[in-house]
Amino acid sequence: MTPPHDDPVLRSARREALVVLAVWLAALAYTVGYCHAFGYGRDPETLAFVFGFPDWVFWGIVTPWTLCTMFSAWFAFAFMTDDDLGAEQAEESLAGEERPHG
Amino acid sequence: MADPASTSAGIGTLAALLLFIAASVWLGTVAQRVVEKGSFLKGYFLGNRGLGAWALALTATVQSGGTFMGFPSYVYTSGWIVALWISAYMVVPISGFGVLGKRFAQLSRRTGAITVPDLFRARFASPAAGLMASLLILFFMTFMMVAQFKAGALVMKISWPGSGALALVEDAQVGNDRYYYLGLTIFSLTVVGYTLIGGFLAAVWTDLFQSVMMFIGVMILLPLTLAAAGGLAASSEKLRYEVSVKAISKDERAAHVPGRARAEERLRELDAALRRIVERTSAERHAAPAPSTKQLLTASKAESESSWLDPITGKPLQSFGDQAPLDPPGSVQRRLLVMTPRDDAGWQSALYSNGRVRSGVFSRPGELNSGPGPFDWQPLGLAFSFFFVWVFSGMGSPSGMVRIMACKDTPTIRRSIFLLACYNMCIYLPLIVICVCGRTLLPDLAVSDEIIPRLALLGTERIWGGSFIAGLILAAPFGAVMATVSSYLVVIASGLVHDVYQRFINPAASERTVRRLSHAMMIVMGAVAVAANLYPPLFLQALVVFSGTCGATTFVAPALMVAFWRRATAAGAMAAMGVGVAATVSLYARGWFTTHSFEPYEPYGLHPIVWGLANSHLAGIVVSLCTAPPPAPLVSKLFDAPGGR
Repeated sequence: MTPPHDDPVLRSARREALVVLAVWLAALAYTVGYCHAFGYGRDPETLAFVFGFPDWVFWGIVTPWTLCTMFSAWFAFAFMTDDDLGAEQAEESLAGEERPHG
Repeated sequence: MADPASTSAGIGTLAALLLFIAASVWLGTVAQRVVEKGSFLKGYFLGNRGLGAWALALTATVQSGGTFMGFPSYVYTSGWIVALWISAYMVVPISGFGVLGKRFAQLSRRTGAITVPDLFRARFASPAAGLMASLLILFFMTFMMVAQFKAGALVMKISWPGSGALALVEDAQVGNDRYYYLGLTIFSLTVVGYTLIGGFLAAVWTDLFQSVMMFIGVMILLPLTLAAAGGLAASSEKLRYEVSVKAISKDERAAHVPGRARAEERLRELDAALRRIVERTSAERHAAPAPSTKQLLTASKAESESSWLDPITGKPLQSFGDQAPLDPPGSVQRRLLVMTPRDDAGWQSALYSNGRVRSGVFSRPGELNSGPGPFDWQPLGLAFSFFFVWVFSGMGSPSGMVRIMACKDTPTIRRSIFLLACYNMCIYLPLIVICVCGRTLLPDLAVSDEIIPRLALLGTERIWGGSFIAGLILAAPFGAVMATVSSYLVVIASGLVHDVYQRFINPAASERTVRRLSHAMMIVMGAVAVAANLYPPLFLQALVVFSGTCGATTFVAPALMVAFWRRATAAGAMAAMGVGVAATVSLYARGWFTTHSFEPYEPYGLHPIVWGLANSHLAGIVVSLCTAPPPAPLVSKLFDAPGGR
């Protein structure tokens, strides 16, 4: 469906946006799902602590947060491509900056 | 709670505030020199597209004063569930820069756009779409900016030595007194002044400066607090059964407290009985470990030959945390020990392990350690919704979009993603840990907003220059508010001057006129904000979320259409903006009319942002498909490879 002449920036940006969307959905589903399953209405008697965090906070939030940070590093340094953003183009219809002073 | 520390903190804070002000003005003048190098418009409103990774990463996503001011107080009163509330920040670095970043940076160059409305206008070849975007931006941002002035004035006010307050407190009685007006004056002059001098770059650099100060503050506070609390594990354990007290009006309190006297008396008797047993047993066998509460309760039950009953309801008392021993009377750190059952009005009395007895409407024991938190703080629907709020209000914020347009190149964007990911993780998780420890260190704060300042004072008491360090931490919200206001001033001024005046009134305006007008607009906006704050708005926190929600529901869908969808039309973009904002505003309006407070109506427990985004996207797609496709040359210019056939 994509036309053959897609701009390379458009192509790479679209690919990256889709990956971000997928990660956002995964983080949303996992974090909210895990916390709901193990953190909501939790009986304080059964609560265990991992490194001082309640277990559901550690596995449901701290862990995915760490993974997301590692993913961000991979995304920034290995996945995302560098592109030429193109030259600045003066806009035709506006005066002001293009006009001689005065 | 008048302690001598608050005065000395005032001096430290004042010094830190002066540092912030001096640094901002200095950054403003440095920025001015850079601006002078290029054309006025691109320099003043876009920093000549030269933002580096640090400036982009730490300033472009929403970290308004509101977030940082409200968040610690939420953790203090509601516990670990706030970690879930904020957790969407784990994906904000990639969503904030990885989705729109490249394309916005590219398209704004290709079209020569300086502002977001510029870009919309050029992308759809439609002045109407541009005008609509500018008007909506002006509308939200003005609201939001006016509200932030109040915060700035209040921070100035409380940092005055001897003002007796330590944190921003939002209540109806905020003093419209001398200090408030003085604070408002100094704050306004500073912010309008340095923004006027340096424009966009001044706003970005002060924002960066305050973000770094905030980071340093958190990094200092974290070890101090952990050490004072004996580690996170110890704190968490003490909070296992902790309860929160519902905020209740003075009248209601006066009506109920006398009725609780009998129950409170009974709890004090219980405390005395338990302590007698401790004394006796420790005299008998002094090498043995202190007896646990459970052993004590069993012993006292046997001794008094009556079980301990609540005199009001006649039911037995509930006891918690049976395994640990009692704490010495009056010690600050304590656990919940015993509670009476609820009376008919929902009131209870509680006895703590340090002998303290109090009454109130309590949350269920243990709710600080579980969802949905005390008093149903975060139902599941809201937990879900806040993954939308933080992610999309960052993506849809016009001041954030402008900063992406101003970035230097794609390596800048990539480095920003990584920097922001590290920054968020190092700010939010430690802040939660700090505030959880704070809850055990200072369990009975009357004003929960004071948690960070009070911890800063407590932690830095014995350190050289402690008052100044505390001051820096206290001044961080001031820096955040200044940065927010100044970036809004730039966006609003650019909207009025560039998008409205130059586009529609006088396209041939000379550079000098534009420059003068930009300065005039900033002064006018500052004056408007000051005038509006002579009677300060009441709902700062709520306004922050409202404005973020409006930004997201108005601009995310059209921005995605601008960047990725060839078939999108001007009518579609305008429909997306209009429907999004209408959905959000109407849900808030309905909430206003039904509850008479600034709380939105939430169908199916979902925040308006979810409904607004869904409707906005739907409207954008449907209307685009129903209207004639955009002209092929226009689409080709923005979507096809340049010259590549």
